[in-house]
Formats: sequence, C-alpha cells, structure tokens
Amino acid sequence: MDALIIVFASGLISLFAAFAKKPWLVVGSAMAGLLAAIIVIIGQLQTGKAFFDFLTYEGLAFDQFALLFSLAICVLTLLIVGIGYERFKENPVHTGEYVGLLMFSATGAMIMTAYTDMFMFFLGLEILSIPIYVMAGSNKADVRSSEASLKYFLTGSFATGIFLFGLAWVYGATGTFKLAEIYMKVAEMDTLSPILMIGVLLIMASFIFKVGAAPFHFWSPDVYDGAPPAVTGFMASVVKIAAFYAFLKMFAICFGQGELFLFWKDALIVMIIITLFVGNLSALRQVKFKRLLAYSSITHVGYTLILFVSQVDYFFSSGFLWFYMFSYGFSIVGIIAVAIAVNDPEDRIDGLRGLGKRNPFLAIVAIVALLSLAGIPPTSGFFAKYVLFSAAWKSASWLVIIALINSAISIYYYLKVIVTIASPADQEQEKIKLSPLTIAVLTIALVGMLGFSFILPLLN
Amino acid sequence: MALLLFILPVFFALSVLIVPKQGVRAYGIIGSLAVLGVVIACMMQYNNDGTVQLFAHQPWLAGITISFGYDGISLLMLLLTAVLVPLILVSNFKNELAENRLFTSMVFFMQLGLIGVFVSMDGLWFYVFWEITLIPIFLISWWFGAPERKAALMKFFIYTFVGSLAMLAALIGIKVNAPSFYIEDLKAVVFTSKTACWLALGFFFAFAVKIPVFPFHTWQPDTYTKSPMAGTMLLSGIMLKMALYGMIRWMIPLFPEAVHCLQWPVIILATIGVVYGAVIAIKQKDMKRVFAFASMSHVGLIAAAIMVWDFDALSGSMVQIVNHGLVAVGLFLAVEIIERRTGTRNLADLGGFAKQAPKFAFWFAALAFASVSVPLTSGFIGEFLMLKGLVQFDMIIGIIAGTTLILGAVYTFRAYQLSMYGPVTREQFADLHWSELVVLAIIIIAVVVLGVYPALITDFVNPSLKIVLQTLSTPSGL
Repeated sequence: MDALIIVFASGLISLFAAFAKKPWLVVGSAMAGLLAAIIVIIGQLQTGKAFFDFLTYEGLAFDQFALLFSLAICVLTLLIVGIGYERFKENPVHTGEYVGLLMFSATGAMIMTAYTDMFMFFLGLEILSIPIYVMAGSNKADVRSSEASLKYFLTGSFATGIFLFGLAWVYGATGTFKLAEIYMKVAEMDTLSPILMIGVLLIMASFIFKVGAAPFHFWSPDVYDGAPPAVTGFMASVVKIAAFYAFLKMFAICFGQGELFLFWKDALIVMIIITLFVGNLSALRQVKFKRLLAYSSITHVGYTLILFVSQVDYFFSSGFLWFYMFSYGFSIVGIIAVAIAVNDPEDRIDGLRGLGKRNPFLAIVAIVALLSLAGIPPTSGFFAKYVLFSAAWKSASWLVIIALINSAISIYYYLKVIVTIASPADQEQEKIKLSPLTIAVLTIALVGMLGFSFILPLLN
Repeated sequence: MALLLFILPVFFALSVLIVPKQGVRAYGIIGSLAVLGVVIACMMQYNNDGTVQLFAHQPWLAGITISFGYDGISLLMLLLTAVLVPLILVSNFKNELAENRLFTSMVFFMQLGLIGVFVSMDGLWFYVFWEITLIPIFLISWWFGAPERKAALMKFFIYTFVGSLAMLAALIGIKVNAPSFYIEDLKAVVFTSKTACWLALGFFFAFAVKIPVFPFHTWQPDTYTKSPMAGTMLLSGIMLKMALYGMIRWMIPLFPEAVHCLQWPVIILATIGVVYGAVIAIKQKDMKRVFAFASMSHVGLIAAAIMVWDFDALSGSMVQIVNHGLVAVGLFLAVEIIERRTGTRNLADLGGFAKQAPKFAFWFAALAFASVSVPLTSGFIGEFLMLKGLVQFDMIIGIIAGTTLILGAVYTFRAYQLSMYGPVTREQFADLHWSELVVLAIIIIAVVVLGVYPALITDFVNPSLKIVLQTLSTPSGL
C-alpha cells in the first residue's frame, strides 16, 4: 500500500512539475518516487510491516507475492523512465504528461498484482490500460503511432468489455466478486455450472488478449511497432508482468481446481501451441526490429503460459513467474534502450549493422539481451526458461518438448540480429554518444541479465 | 586454489581488452601459461586414487547445486586445454589476429567455458558451460573467418544448439526424479530401459553433433574451412573432446540401462563415420578440408571405442584424445603455414616446398607420421587399444574400423606429397618462423614421449576410469 501511494503521488508531482518545462525535474521526481517505492517495498518484504497499514482496503492485499511483483514493476518502470529521458529533452512540453501517465499506469499495474476482488482488478486494469492508449499515440507526428493508439484502444476496450461480460457470468454463478468467496463457491459445486464455464472462458479470452497470445495477438505487432520505443518497452515488460500475475492469481486461486481446471486447461494448451508457432514462425521473416521483438514477445508469452497448465503449486508458480518475468523485463529494457539509442527512423534490423564500431558498450548490451531472450546460458534468460520448463516437465513433458523445439527455431532470428550487430557497416557511421543516465540504465540491465539468477537464492 | 581455474581466464579475458596493442601477444601467452600453471598445481595436489575431488559443493536454487571438482579424467582434459591454448596462441604469433584484443579475449572466454565443462559435477552447470563455449567460438569465426563464412557458421550454431537443447530436455527429464542436479544424485535415479534410452538419446544427440558422428557431421567441414586457423584448432583440438568427455562422464554413467540399446547403433554410426570421413578426405582438393574430414574419421573411432565400454578401449581412447588434440593442432598449423606463404590451400597449386623449406618438411613429415599412428607415437598406442576393444566387441566392426590405419596413411601422405614434393611451384617459400617451430617441436616431442611411455597418461587416468566402470557394472551387468 505504501509503495502504491508513493508511486501515485510521485506521478501527480511529476505531472505538476511539468509546468516548469524542465524535463530533468519531471524525470527526477518520478525516479525519486520510484526509488522510494522500491526501498519501501524491500523494507516491507523484510520486516513485514507497512506504514499505511490502517489504510488497508479489503479489495487489496499486499502479500509477499504482490510485493515482489510490485518490486519488479517499480524497478522496470524506473529503468524505462530512465531510457526515455533523451527523448524528453527533445520535446520538453510533453514530458510531464508522458511521465505522469507512465506512473499512473504503473499504479494500475500494482493494483492488478494486489487485488483480492474482481472489482478492484477491473479498476486496476483500466488504470493500467487507459494511459497506455494515450502513450501509444504520443508520437503525434508519426501516423503509425496514431494507428497503434487507435488500434490498441479499440481492441483493448473490446477485450475489457468481454472481461466484464465474463465477470457478469461468473457473478451469476457464484454471487460474489471476492476471490476467496468465488473459490469457496466453486469448491462447493457438485457439477460445473455452464454459466460459470462460459464466464471463465470469456475472462480467459480477455486475459489472452491482454498478454498478447495467439489467437488474440493481432494487435501486438502493429502496436509494438507503432508506439514510441519506451512505451513498447513498458508494454512488453510492466504490463505483461501485471497481466500475467493477475491472470495466474485469478485462475490458480478461483478457477484452478478439479474439473474446472481440466476444462480450461485443454483450451489453453491449444492456444499455447498456436502461440509458440505463430510467434516464432512470423518472427523468422521480419526485417523491422521492433516487429521482431513483438513476435518474439508473443513466443515468450507462449512459454510463460506453460506454467499455467503445469499443475504446480500456486506459490511455486508465482515464484517461477516472478523470476521469469523479471529477467525477461531486464532483457526487454536492455534491448529497447539499444533501439532508442540507435534511433533508426525506419527501425530496420539492418540499422544495427556496425553497432560494435559505433558504440561497443551498446553492442555488448544488445548481444547479451538477445542471448538472454534466446535463453542461452549464462544469462538469466536461460535460468528463467530452465526453471519454467522444469516446473512444467512432470505434468506436461510433451509441451516442454514443443517449447524446446520452439526455442531452437527462435535461435535463428535472434542469431540473425546478433550477427548483424557484429558485422561491419557498409558505410562509415557516426559514433553514438550515451548520456550518463542511459549508461546507468544499461549497466543495471546488463547486471540484471547476467547476474539476476545469482540474486535469487538470497531472496529465499 | 582450484577456484583460480575460473578466476584466471575471466581476469585475462577482461584485462586483455585494455592492454596496449603491441603487448597483447605477450599478455595472452603469459595468461595462458598462468592457467597451465594452475592446472599443473591441481594435478600435483590430486592424490591419484581415482575419486572425484570436489572443490565446491553446496546447494543453490531450484535443485541446482554448485558442485565443481575433478578426477583423473577431468584433469587430463584440463591439462590438454591448458597446453593447447598457449600453443594455439603461439602458433598464431605471426598473424595480425594475435594483436587483436577481442580475439585474445574470446580465446580466454573459450578456455573458461572448456574448463567449466571439465570440472562441472552438476548437470546444469555442465550444460551452461557447454553452451558458453559456443559463443566465443562462434564470434571468433564470425569476426575473423574467411569471407564466405556466414552461412556455414549459422548452420554450425543452429546445429549444435539444437543438439544441446535435446540434452537440456534429457537433463530436465532426469532431474524431475532426482533431488538435485549433482552428478551422484542423478546417477542414483533408476529408469526403465525404455525411458533411459530416450533420455540417453537426448544426450547422444548433443554429443553426436559436436563430435561429429555420421550423419550429424554436415556442419563440420564447412565450419572448419571457413574459421580462422585458431578457431579450427580450438574446434578440433579441444571442443569436440568435450563431447567425448561428456560421453564418459555423463551419458553412460547416468543411463547405464541405455547402453544396451544405444551401443550397437552408436558404434555402427561411428564406424561408418570412420570410413566415410577417410574416403572423403582422400578425394579433397582443399588441404584444410582433408584434415577436417580426417579429424572426423579419427574422432569417430574414439567415439566407437568409448561405446564399447571396455577398460582397455577406454584408456586407449584417453590416449587418443590427447594425441588427436595435439596432432590436429599441428596439422592445421601446417596448413596455415602453407597458406600464409602462398595464399592458397588448393593441393593442385602446391608443391615442391620440401626443397625450399627443409625444416618445415621434416616437422610436417613427423606430424604426418604421428597422424597415421606409426609405432613410437602416442597415436599407435591409442589406436591399438581402441581397435583391440572393438575387435573383442565384434570382429567385423573391428576390421572395418581398422581400415582407418590404411586410409589414414593414404590421405595424409597424399596431402603431404602433393604439397611438399613434386615440381617447385613458388619462387620462394620461407622456412619456419621460430614461433611455428616451437609449436611443431613441442607437439612432436609430446607425441613421441607419450608414444614411448604412454603410462604418463594411462597411469593418471586409469584409477578414475576404473571407478567409472565399476559404478556402472552393477545395474546392467555389462
């Protein structure tokens, strides 16, 4: 709760700080707020006490996992605010809105991790989504950005509608919005009521849309491609973390028992397989960098969803999910920071050619990030993938084998980008200069990608 | 002490990046000699009873343990790595590449990966280091290789990576039944022979690609020819030994149940590879390609001998692993020497160098003899023991594999004759530079010493091999 309030308040402050037309003030206040939130969360994780305990509303519960996921959200938001800074300097007028919206969106994400009540979840979802609709279109000079915004808004609001529709069915079957009570009601049922089943399917569809898995993935390449890079990074990391954890919480707690689990499990397995192949095979032929990332992120969604059907304990799967999404977030932040620094207007993969000459540090970060996305040791991406697959092996070993085949396919396109980075450019290009803030963010991301797996035993 | 095995390569890999250009050569050699010193110190410390001596053993996350240690087999592989890396660096001395910081750094990263593979006593760390080696070798070849290298290297990377993923799947498959990835825990798991066959197949796939065993070899000749000389040496000299080591340390001990179903297919494939590689090598025009296929043929024999899983054959294969590492490095250096001076490797364009460069002709001839395993070279002992094992296993297989001795003589001496004798084709051909001479001499001396007194190797590894064999003979009654 403390962190939530701090992030929200610093969002407000940075919004008002925009009147000064000084980007550093806006970014500084946002970053200070996020840092404070991170410290507060770590403190609360260690002591178990919160300052604003008396404010606890029963729709929100910041338990261990909610805190851990909020921590991931704050850290990644902090990094994303940091990498966007160079762009704000070019356009100081809109910095306040942009950073403010980012912070509000992060607030929504934190609510989505801590909800215990469907109603609260819906609020969180909207607080998360509406700023993103705006941010995706924030690059007004670019037609594709406007297209991205409109597309995301239309399909996103449609998905929200479907969620509400599904929620209505679930409410009809159980008569409550609270997760714990829904759990009890579902457990008491002798036979599955068709009303509940329809509701669950509709809710699942809206979640599948939000995380961007096939067959509801069509928005994501266009939106990722069109949105400004920092927003793409935010969508691929923070939004996914929140959506996945909310998804897991709802489906593992409320709908994760007995026949109901078996009922949606099969549907999800089919979607996982489609997602993996669609994401990978489409990524093979991409020439644009952010589009490639969009398809690769679809594939990663497929890997992550394996956790949902693998019948491991809720605590384990939340822990695995946290680890996977956090390390994935580091790689995404690293690679997006590279894309921003290279600043190729056409955003081609070939634009990365000769990066090693233009800025060796950037090239190293990019290569490590791509290795981490591909899951090659010793990056944290590998350990994350390993943890995920080993969790799923017992109940769904053939699904793991399909996933491994897909990681083999994915090597091709990641490797293609890596070798492009390592190849010399056709003509001499100017060197890229990095600001200290970008260097700091890149270093954190690099440390995260290489050493994150070593932090984990400490947290246990 | 043993931790220096990790610390030194990392330290040198990073610090070489800031060394001034003219110092890179010396710095690289100093670094690799320091690693060699540490390995020798570890060998001194090791009491040769054949057991695994762990220098780190504690649980980590999710069933992964931090277990590193060595026994005689590991130490022999470590020594091979530590000897070959300075040799490779020295033989590179005359190239511009030797001044390249990135290149030297990558060689050290490669060494780190190799050392990790040989000392990992935890399945997942084995996999991790196994994959780490892939990145520097890929980058070395990508950055410094021949102009038309790209397609070949992509093929190489994807091939080996797919193979490794099969191993990862098998590792996860075995781990779900074991408390941790520690090798003894993994060994304790007992499978039905059907499951064991599938899981062992996962391992075998990874190893077969790297060795390479027929029909998984198609990446190998192209990658060897397109890589820079140092890359080829690393690949054939040390990297494919990882797979042979993996078979002895991991594949067979973890799945003794599977030996019955895998033994015949693997030996047959490996024997096909022996003959096939040798026959193709005879027909090659490119000198590097001759030795690339020769390497495939030699290593196929080692793989077959390991699968026989007989004590003599195993210790023969250990001798041959060392011998092949040394000789392969020497032969590729010989090719490089010719290419440096003439700019081509095409056998048809070469000839007559024996007159112009007598020293080179002598040492190259000695290498050629070592390569065809004449008596008094270590190759003879190795191949003799391995063929003895194969003949005991099955007469026909043994005879077919034995043709390697004849065919090996044909392609090696064909390459030697076409390049060194015949009409003089070049106006001048400079004799050996001291750095080349040092490498060739060290290799030949080592090969001869080991050939006369192979006990240097066998006494060292036999206790460990005995232990590996013993643990295995119980469940499947081999």
